[in-house]
Amino acid sequence: MTSTIATKTITVEYDLPFPPAKVWRVLTEPKLLEAWLMPNDIAPVVGHKFTMRTKPMGNWDGVVHCEVLVVEPNKRLAYSWKGGAADNPAYGQPLDTVLTLTLTEKPGGTLLLLEHSGFTDQNEFAFTAMSGGWKSHGGGRMKEVLGGLN
Amino acid sequence: MQTVMRQNEIFRALGDPTRRAVYERLILREETVSGLTARFEVSQPAISQHLKTLRDAGLVTVRREGREAHYRAGPEGLKPLFDWVAHYEKFWRGREARLKAVLEGLEE
Repeated sequence: MTSTIATKTITVEYDLPFPPAKVWRVLTEPKLLEAWLMPNDIAPVVGHKFTMRTKPMGNWDGVVHCEVLVVEPNKRLAYSWKGGAADNPAYGQPLDTVLTLTLTEKPGGTLLLLEHSGFTDQNEFAFTAMSGGWKSHGGGRMKEVLGGLN
Repeated sequence: MQTVMRQNEIFRALGDPTRRAVYERLILREETVSGLTARFEVSQPAISQHLKTLRDAGLVTVRREGREAHYRAGPEGLKPLFDWVAHYEKFWRGREARLKAVLEGLEE
């Protein structure tokens, strides 16, 4: 195993013709957040643990586990975003990521910057899991991994 | 979502123990239908059906040499399972309209 694993960040910008205070509500009130994202029990309090519920995928139950990391009302909100099938390390890679939402006021509205960071570099991950694992352990590791699939 | 569909197809294909064993074998080395049939003690049509399912899921590729078809599996077939970045990139880009609709409906 290498000691450093490269990570990737997804950056998306929403140009919203609404003031930051309004956008903040849609990001932090469970009912409003659910209306555009998914069912959740968020609260804008640092340390608050909550879940998001999405469609199950393979071995993963579709539950995203989150913890609020940063709260700057009307400016910035960040929370951890964890999920995936943790019992299945090489199949359905577990997610251990952070979502950061930054609101910038602009004439006539808000620029919402969404940064989803901490994705393990897929190629490196695949390389480690596939080449290393499979070549050195033959089918054994593969069996073990696939055993968790049922 | 297409990524999810591909993922489910892969999980389905590998959910069967015999198919999984065939797949595992094809990762280690290239095989023909007759080679696999001899090895796994299942009928040739059954092996062919398993290979078709694995090929449909993008897990196995075929190389023809004369009258013989040689099958193999490479790690690239599993790529959709690691594609969280593609999944979320699409996901977040697809949510802007819904977010705007929620904001439209908000009272002052």
